Amino acid sequence: MQKFSDLVSVLMVFVWLGGHPVSPLRPICDLRVLDHFVREARDSEVIMRGCRGGCSVMNSYFVPLTSVDFAVWEQIDGQAEEVQTGLSLLVKALSAARNTVSSSPLISTLDNNISNIHSLSQILHSLHLQQGRSTALSDDSASISIQTQEVSTLPELLQVQSSFLRGKVRLLFSAAPACQK
Amino acid sequence: MRIDTLKVVAVLCVAFVTIGGQSFESKVAQLLHDEADDLKCFVEGKKDLTCFWEEELERRNSHDRYTFIYSYEKEKSRTCDVSSLSLLASNRTVFLCKLPQILFFTVLHVQVLYDGRMLYNRSLNVENVLFLDPPRNLTVVSSGKEGQLNVSWLPPLLKYMDDSMIYEVRYAVEGSHMGKVEEIKASTKLILRGLQPGTRYKVWVRIKPDGVAYDGYWSAWTEPVFRATQPSDMDPLIVLLVLFIALILFILSVTVILSHHKFLLKKVWPDIPTPEHKFPGLLTVYEGDFKEWMRQNNGNMWGRSAHIYAEELPSPLEVLSEISLASNATSQIEERRTLEEEEEKTESEGTDSGITGSWQEPSQAHWFMEQLRALQENPQSLSQSMLLESPDTYVTLNQNSQHARAEDDSQVDDICDESLPLQTLFSNSGTSSLSASQSDLGSLQQSSGSGRLSSQSSFEYPNHTWPSNRPGYTYMAVADSGVSMDYSPMSSSRIEDLGKRVIYTNEYKNEIFGHKWAISGQC
Repeated sequence: MQKFSDLVSVLMVFVWLGGHPVSPLRPICDLRVLDHFVREARDSEVIMRGCRGGCSVMNSYFVPLTSVDFAVWEQIDGQAEEVQTGLSLLVKALSAARNTVSSSPLISTLDNNISNIHSLSQILHSLHLQQGRSTALSDDSASISIQTQEVSTLPELLQVQSSFLRGKVRLLFSAAPACQK
Repeated sequence: MRIDTLKVVAVLCVAFVTIGGQSFESKVAQLLHDEADDLKCFVEGKKDLTCFWEEELERRNSHDRYTFIYSYEKEKSRTCDVSSLSLLASNRTVFLCKLPQILFFTVLHVQVLYDGRMLYNRSLNVENVLFLDPPRNLTVVSSGKEGQLNVSWLPPLLKYMDDSMIYEVRYAVEGSHMGKVEEIKASTKLILRGLQPGTRYKVWVRIKPDGVAYDGYWSAWTEPVFRATQPSDMDPLIVLLVLFIALILFILSVTVILSHHKFLLKKVWPDIPTPEHKFPGLLTVYEGDFKEWMRQNNGNMWGRSAHIYAEELPSPLEVLSEISLASNATSQIEERRTLEEEEEKTESEGTDSGITGSWQEPSQAHWFMEQLRALQENPQSLSQSMLLESPDTYVTLNQNSQHARAEDDSQVDDICDESLPLQTLFSNSGTSSLSASQSDLGSLQQSSGSGRLSSQSSFEYPNHTWPSNRPGYTYMAVADSGVSMDYSPMSSSRIEDLGKRVIYTNEYKNEIFGHKWAISGQC
């Protein structure tokens, strides 16, 4: 009887946990995670340069702008939204490009990049940079308010991904108030 | 007019370069040497991107014929003003252009045209051509520990970039060309270890982007900073060796002392010599009473066992003849007494001959044998006669008494059978032989120490003839007295033979009892 009551109490705890939202994430401020994702994005470029068949087909991809003017970067607002939107655009483009690729190493590294961008989105959410906006990667193109550029080849897409991660995403991470000591 | 304007611009450019410091010229000079591209570009911080190329001989003094065009990705092209720079160190001239606007993390396309024709063309990312200034404020201090120096410097004043740098620290002994290099990531401090104590070192530092988010070239080395390490008080190896050797010497000395401690103790603290070992029991049992010790020790001249200290010890017997014999016996007694008295007084050696002389006459021996036989048959008569004849105490050898004695005192049997010769003597005849009263024997023993035994020793034998078939009687009797020998003429020789278990120096050859003597001699 005692054992049964203990089991019931444990089950009730699990039910309670399932019915309640998770607690806010702790800030992830270690830039080494992002550096790791950047290296893997660069590895994709290297693999792409060495690809000799079944690499990709011409396609149109809408990707975020990656250029950073340090003179104006700190003055602009909405950096977090811009980064989050850009990440979502990258995920879309990478997913579309992956479907056109038949080279298995390239497929593998593209899958890795997509997973990394998802993780980056979660990390950005942990930094509490969003203010009253949805943090989930949205498929709704109407919500996109940032400037985009169009690329037509996978090497260009991978270069944009690499530049975006090294640039705006990293700047946002290093400047996040939650990570300031 | 136009020429004057150009000259002013050139002078201004040179002045600007000069004001910019040696660092810019050194960077240009360094890139001239390191960078493979003909069109070299670098950015010093966040704002100044410089692209330059070297003047070629066929195109000297024609910087105005160059056109520099640049454009960022998806943007329109722009031009940049070209200037020249003379490198004094290498006597070379370069043409350069400093871009006014810089965008990171995007592609930059650069072109150099000479008289409208494409000369150089290059596409690059600005964040990949960082050429920073050397670290500032290099500081080297002694850490307080032997062979260590603390090195520290300041990171570049570049926001968002300072956490993406790596550093190299070079250090060498002053005056030496051999140096070591240490690479450090994400830190502006370093502890140099394993340095020679009491040595002056010089230290350099340089910086470079780590290559993840930013990339570029190694900066120039800082100006060297000199610092001496702490001198060592004592070489720990020498201290350890000295301690180890001292420990080994200590262990060796202790081992030697322990192995020879008895010898050393005797030398340093010798024992007071005592004569105890020569006189057993003198100091312990008799408490220094030498006379008593001598008295007691007389009975044990031939042995040390406890059995020897039995109450009754056989003593030499003096055979006296009867009256018919008595006259002979008397004479014998008197002769014997005289001899004994002399011997007692003098205690001289060589009296063996006295005794032996008294016994060595074969006629006397035969006569005694007969007397003994007679005595055996009638012991009482002899005792009476002898008592009348002589006031001395006589020993009456009696077989019965011997048996009784044996019953009373088993120790007698335990005695090395010194009485056996007597028993054997009398048992041969099958009858009671000479009787010896226990009391007399006891008195004999009692007096053995006093040395008067001989005077008291005597046979009491009956007034009858002695059995004739008694071989070697007299010899045996005397020989049997070997147990108590202090008083005997051979006393001195006995003393010498103490402990050696030798009865006599003179051997009595008696075919019957020779072996017995050997036995008794072992007592």
